[in-house]
Amino acid sequence: MGKSDIGPPSYKKMLPAVIEKNYGKWKYHEILKPGVLKHVSESGDEVWTVRAGSPRLVSIDFIRDICDIADKYCDGKLRFTSRSNVEFMTPKKENVEPIIQAVQKIGLPVGGTGKSISNIIHTQGWAHCHSAATDSSGIVKAIMDELYPYFTSMKLPAKLRVALACCINMCGAVHCSDIAIVGIHTKPPKIDNSKVGAVCEIPTTMASCPTGAIRKNPDPNVKGLVVNEEKCMYCGNCFTVCPAMPLADAEGDGVAIYVGGKVSNARSAPMFSRLAIPYLPNNPPRWPEAVSAIKNIVEVYAKNALPDERMGEWINRVGWENFFKLTGIEFTEYHIDDFTHGVDTYRTTTQFRW
Amino acid sequence: MTEGVTEELKDKILKYLGTVSKAKNRDVARALEIDKAIVDKGIAELAKEDKIEYIYLGTSYIQLKQK
Amino acid sequence: MADNDTPLIDELEKGPWPSYIKEIKRAAKKNAAAKDLLGVQELSFQERITHWKHGGIVGVTGYGAGVIGRYVDAPDKFPAVEMFHTMRINQPAGWFYTTDALRKICDIWEKYGSGLTNFHGSTGDIILLGTNTKSLQPCFDELTEAGFDLGGSGSALRTISCCVGPARCEYSCIDTLDICANLTQEFQDEIHRPRWPYKFKIKISGCPNDGVAAIARADFTIIGTWHDTLRIDQDEVRKYVKNGFDIRGLVTEKCPTKALAWDDKELKLNLRTADCVRCMHCINKMPKALRPGVDRGATILIGGKAPIIKGAYLSWVLVPFMKMEPPYDEAKVLLRKIWEWWDENGRSRERIAELIERMGLKTFLRAVDIKPVPQMVFKPRANPYVFFD
Repeated sequence: MGKSDIGPPSYKKMLPAVIEKNYGKWKYHEILKPGVLKHVSESGDEVWTVRAGSPRLVSIDFIRDICDIADKYCDGKLRFTSRSNVEFMTPKKENVEPIIQAVQKIGLPVGGTGKSISNIIHTQGWAHCHSAATDSSGIVKAIMDELYPYFTSMKLPAKLRVALACCINMCGAVHCSDIAIVGIHTKPPKIDNSKVGAVCEIPTTMASCPTGAIRKNPDPNVKGLVVNEEKCMYCGNCFTVCPAMPLADAEGDGVAIYVGGKVSNARSAPMFSRLAIPYLPNNPPRWPEAVSAIKNIVEVYAKNALPDERMGEWINRVGWENFFKLTGIEFTEYHIDDFTHGVDTYRTTTQFRW
Repeated sequence: MTEGVTEELKDKILKYLGTVSKAKNRDVARALEIDKAIVDKGIAELAKEDKIEYIYLGTSYIQLKQK
Repeated sequence: MADNDTPLIDELEKGPWPSYIKEIKRAAKKNAAAKDLLGVQELSFQERITHWKHGGIVGVTGYGAGVIGRYVDAPDKFPAVEMFHTMRINQPAGWFYTTDALRKICDIWEKYGSGLTNFHGSTGDIILLGTNTKSLQPCFDELTEAGFDLGGSGSALRTISCCVGPARCEYSCIDTLDICANLTQEFQDEIHRPRWPYKFKIKISGCPNDGVAAIARADFTIIGTWHDTLRIDQDEVRKYVKNGFDIRGLVTEKCPTKALAWDDKELKLNLRTADCVRCMHCINKMPKALRPGVDRGATILIGGKAPIIKGAYLSWVLVPFMKMEPPYDEAKVLLRKIWEWWDENGRSRERIAELIERMGLKTFLRAVDIKPVPQMVFKPRANPYVFFD
């Protein structure tokens, strides 16, 4: 057996020289144009950063391509952002345009800074995940093709963060995004009681259900489970614990759109995204219903929000009643929260808009 | 060998795991009435010695290495 | 499979955004598993359903984390992805790399895996996507020779991540990269050998802009802040105003506590320090003129998570201000106390926030020896149902 518990390599070995020299000494920064940052140090040193979008699911040859660019212009160093963008840094201003050209030559957009739509954070979807209720890379590609001009420009009222989780497990924790796209099931699990006994642990499976909808099969001859379908909200938690109760369904699965979340503490406190559209169908390869719904929300926000107002801040100012009116999205009984803390969202004032 | 971890402790852990299909570290510590911090270290050594393995059923458990 | 057998996914080679289908096709030229992945993806697009299964025991010797078992449900059609496991590789703090390190990972993954990756997964790891069981150990051994190690999975401490911090950001109030690297090395056993009720995440953001969304998704959220006063360079403020910057509309009127006021007679930006809640808005708008204070540390918050099981939570303030100097013993002691209480009391798949909600914040604070302070709540209780114990 080889090495064990060595942890990752030290970040200190990975830093560009100008970063190492000015570590902790940065004084201010400017966004020179979409995707190009300039940071100035107290020492007077400057570093330019070119930010490029990536498709996130990439081949090793893609990584080698960006390494070639970093070898040529960035002394063999680069970094990634938390949103799967690639950042090329250089202390030489004259390298900026050649980096942009090299990046664009391999098909990558430069942008994602300031008042833009940066890369979509997303999960694995049909490319890799067992519990996916929608695809991830595919629908994200379709959305980003449409929102592309917002990545390469900075013309929105504020930054707009989009994230996608392919099921409500939300391993990508999308629930505080300006726009969150969530894959949903809409049908209860189909229990294969011939397998339950062999592949599932019955008490664990029953305990996994947030609403207590899963019980032992009342038939003493069946070693299995039953689901009270009226109590099921299709979360898939049972399927993660018990593979014999799949709930994927080609007709029932789709996506929901949540809006108005943020994590930054700037101005207003962080907030959750809230339900805008309960269900849109899975319609590969381009998910036209989801794409046009998102584009509509972005455009209505861009037209109506004040400068520096994030999606949720804009909605809080104008009221959800106006959000639904302006976007033309129908408000339904599904929008009313009837889960654990639901009553906290019911309006307890006569103040509202018509 | 990690401080506080004896061959005797590791034998006890293996013996306990022989009586159950799977367990969490906490269950082992409770059954053996030994401080969990020490049991955690013993389990880590047994994992490195390839005598136990981890399974995931909604949460992670340990079990005797299946031959 | 013939080259023209995937009409649905081929559609996604078009359009301006870079195409992941093109990337899978690049990998497919060299690797059978990547080629079968194209077929699986096409089938999912046709049938609008996933074709992956989870489960099984896969991993490397000595570890219970870092590898996710994955199998296709139609191995007869797609034999090269019968097994298609993920390896999570712990990233260097801040996601900085030398191209040498990246090329080494690529070479190893070319040898042992599909050649497909994510840089990075949401938690922060390098994701190596798709290999078979027998390749796991030799791949891992070569990765450790190259200086890399696996990240967390299952009921373990998950790979810790942080924002770019002091490496390239003037806002950062703490050394996010060093804290990330230090805690990662300290807790290798907790990352690699899952033992708790469920997952536990730590994320570190250098300032309240919270660039890595720590407050939304980390059980233990570390956010840089300051205890003294905003630094104002009045000359630079005047330059902004002179250049036509609408300081009232864009800054003082947006200040959530109206702590800032622009005096256009004295040409001075006045601050009532006691009212500043350090939201970052004014600094974000005028980075040349305004900076965080110099008495710096972190606010520690607890409990952030996505919805499964009981609902989503944002992290709650636990320690309003903690100095963050190496070796970060205060944070480490606190973490160990939290884990001990959680592991003792938590039910299967119960995150720390859910346990705190079930047992009460009061009980939790007693267990970790922290005194209640008003900064922990938006407002005190309104109901009279107090337990005097």
